[in-house]
Order: sequence, then C-alpha cells, then structure tokens
Amino acid sequence: MSFKNKIKSSSMSIVISMSLVLFVLGILGFLLLNANRLSNHVKQNIGFSVMIKEGVKEVDIMQLQKLIDSKPYSLETNWITKEDAATDLQEELGEDFIVFLGYNPLLESIDIKLKATYANPDSLLLLQKKLSKNDLIHEVFYQKDLVEKISENVRKMSVFLLSFCILLFIISFTLINNTIRLSVYSKRFLIRTMKLVGATNKFIKGPFLSDSIYNGIYSSLVAICMLLAVFQLLQNDMPDFLNIQDLKSMGIIFASIFVAGILFTWLSTFFALRKYLRIKESEIYL
Amino acid sequence: MKTIIEFKAVDILQKTNIIFQNLNFKISSGEFIYIIGKTGSGKSSLLKSLYAELPIKKGSISVLDYDVEKLNDDNISNLRRKLGIVFQDFQLLTDRNLYDNLNFILKATGWKDKDKIDGRIKEVLDNVHLENCEEKMLYELSGGEQQRATIARALLNHPEIILADEPTGNLDPEKSEKIIALLKEINDKGTTIIVATHDYSIIKKFPSHTFVCENRSLVETSSENI
Repeated sequence: MSFKNKIKSSSMSIVISMSLVLFVLGILGFLLLNANRLSNHVKQNIGFSVMIKEGVKEVDIMQLQKLIDSKPYSLETNWITKEDAATDLQEELGEDFIVFLGYNPLLESIDIKLKATYANPDSLLLLQKKLSKNDLIHEVFYQKDLVEKISENVRKMSVFLLSFCILLFIISFTLINNTIRLSVYSKRFLIRTMKLVGATNKFIKGPFLSDSIYNGIYSSLVAICMLLAVFQLLQNDMPDFLNIQDLKSMGIIFASIFVAGILFTWLSTFFALRKYLRIKESEIYL
Repeated sequence: MKTIIEFKAVDILQKTNIIFQNLNFKISSGEFIYIIGKTGSGKSSLLKSLYAELPIKKGSISVLDYDVEKLNDDNISNLRRKLGIVFQDFQLLTDRNLYDNLNFILKATGWKDKDKIDGRIKEVLDNVHLENCEEKMLYELSGGEQQRATIARALLNHPEIILADEPTGNLDPEKSEKIIALLKEINDKGTTIIVATHDYSIIKKFPSHTFVCENRSLVETSSENI
C-alpha cells in the first residue's frame, strides 16, 4: 500500500465523522436563522397607537400618517377612524355604547407597526416622547409591560441560542480535531521514518494536507445532502415551520458548511502534523 | 584524508543525564570505525547526534561540512540524505514489500524518474545480495535479510557515510559476520562506515579503528585489547 493509499484508507472514517458533525452544525445554523426570523416576526408585531386630538382635519391626519410612513422606524401604519374604532369597541363590548352615551367619545388614531430593530423599550420610549410633541397628537399609547416582556424573552432566547451555538461549535471543532489527530497519530511512525531518511517537511505534509482538503470537500457535500434530505422531509410535514424557499439563507448555510468543512480539516491536519513532525523519539511511544 | 566528522568540546545529554562531556573526536573519509561500550553507554546517542536527532548541549559537531547544531529542518533533511542510517530497530515499513520500502525512500528524497528508481533499487539489492526478494513482504524475510534490507535502504542515496546502530544486534554469529563483511565491502568502495556495537566477536574477526564509550568520553583502543 503506497503512502497516499495508506492515508486514504483512514479517510473514510474521517469523512463519516466530519459529515455528521457538519450536519449538526448545519441544523443549528438553520435554527439560528429561523430563530432570528421568528424573533423579527414577533418584534414586528409590536406597535403603538397615536391618538389624534379631537377636531383635527382628515387631510392633516393623512399628512401625519405619510410623515410617519416616511420615518425609518415605521414598517406599516393603519389609520383608524372614529367610526372604525367605535365598530371595533362595539364588537368587543357586544352592545351599542353610542346609543347609550349619545355620542362617539373615541378619537381618531394611527396604529404603527415598527421595524424589528426599533421594537425595544428604549426606542419606543424615545418615539413616544418625540411624537407626543406633535400638536396634532393627543397621546401616544403602547403596552409598555408587554413590550418589555417580549423584548426580555427575545433577548434571553437569543443569548441561549448563541451560547448553545458556540458550545456546539467548540464541541464540533474538538470532535473533528480529535478524529484527525488520531488519524495522523496512527501514522506517526511513518512520519518519523520519513524524517529520519531525509524527507523534507513539505514532502511529508503534502499528501496529508491535500487529502485533508478532499476530506473536507467530501464531508461537506455529504452533510449538505443530508441537510437537504432532512429539510425536504420537514418541509413536507411542517410547511409553516421551515422556510426552505429562502434561497439566500440556504446558500449561506451550505456555503458556511463547505468552507468550515475544508478549513476545519485543513487546520486540524496542519497542527497535528506540526506536532508529529517535531516529536522526539522518547515521546513517540507515549 | 579529509576530515568528514568532527566533534569539538561536545556535551551530549539524554534528558538530564550527561552521556558525553567535552567530547573531541575526528573521523576521516573512508574510515571504518567501531564504537563500542556497555548498553546505555551512549553509542546510539552519539550516532543520533550525528544526524541531528539528538540535540547537543554544548560544543559543535561538523558532519560533511554541515554544522549540525545550527541546522534548520530543511538542512537536516539535506544532511540525512547524504548519510545512510541503519537503525537499531530497522525502521522498515512493515505494511509493504521490500521494493515498496525502497521506492518510498527514493520518492521521499526527491527521486522522480521511474526507470532510475527501478535501476537504483535493483543495484542496491544486488549489493546486499537480496536480488530475488523485491516482492517479498517484510515478514517473509529472515532477521539477517531484514538487516541487509536496512543496509540496502541506507545505500540508496549514495551516502558518503553509513551509520550503523547495532547492525548485528538480532543476528546469530554467522549472519553477523556476513553483515559486517558486507559493510566492509561497501567501505572498500570508499564509503565511511561507523558501526556502534557491543558484539566484540565481530571486531576480532574484522579488526579496525575502535573507540570505547566510557566515563562520558570516547577512548581509542586497539582490537586486541577488547
């Protein structure tokens, strides 16, 4: 068996182990991206209502709505007329309060949905202060407690997911690193013999490093195929849970797996080789 | 004759143990030298220091105009290509046949032309009288044949010096004599040979310059005094 063939014989186990690790990383990446979208979705449903003063002309309200629409924080605005507000309240109460009161006491309002980046307690407080200064606005209203709770929960979830991601990333790298180190370790006598007969470090490293790149490519491709299969299955069973039509996200995940696969194997092989090229005779049997 | 190995005030250590202290020693081209001594007296360490496997603590070693203690990785490779090393534990690759063992070394040391590689392998196997063993796996070779295989490997790159560490260590007297006769034959063609051994019978049979490792030093002795 030639030197190159000997290296290749251990490649299969590396490819299998690496594929599984990269597959798990891919799943995690997909969860992270979806979690971000879910968090944005929740945040973008956070909004506040701008109550317009009594007697403001429709044209002024329309202008105010346009002004708010043009602001960077605004995702969507909805003008609620007095009549719409009364209808909604009547539906909620189940009785016609206008007949009872003799007039409609409700104010015109504009409901504003915010972009995810502005949907946090600080920004909302700032916006409330800013908008309250407008002469047409009677009051700016939002559910402060709910916003704070959502914001806190989203933050906690992000920290948890990020920590989990970092932990899994470290575990994955360690697993890949150990698999490759074991593979190089098993050839330490071969490496030593080559060194003793005058082979250059470059000659010794060459086949290991080029093989590591191929291993990285094969592992990434296997992991990507496994991910595609799993995503397809999930898409069939839970179409609302996953968004695999999002080609950009999928592209980012697959490209990351591809690059990580090659980079991890190459780096691990490089450092393992460096160790065994420098190893002393007394350490080789340990 | 030209000096090809020179030790100047060299201290050699194995971990923290001093093996040699203030060693001064010269070997000229074409010599056949025995290094003898008890087990653990430093014979192997001395050879290892020659091919930069064991760093020295003090002094300087010159081998074929290389300052061994100053060599970087690339120069260590260059030096080792000019030396033929017969290792005590053979260092043959047990998972391949004899031809592949030799082919591997030639490729590792920069040979590319297949015809030249085949020619050189045939030549060295003829030299060590293993011409019909090319295809044999190592486990099919006897101890003496394996020892000759390591000598064949040492000869591959036309070395100026052969360092043989206990080349008869695992062999019966008859085979030991054959190995030393073979090394003498190679020496007659101009290659400097340094043999580390504790097999004194071969020295009596094939007398030559002999140095004893004792008291952290190397002392020349005559074959008759052994």
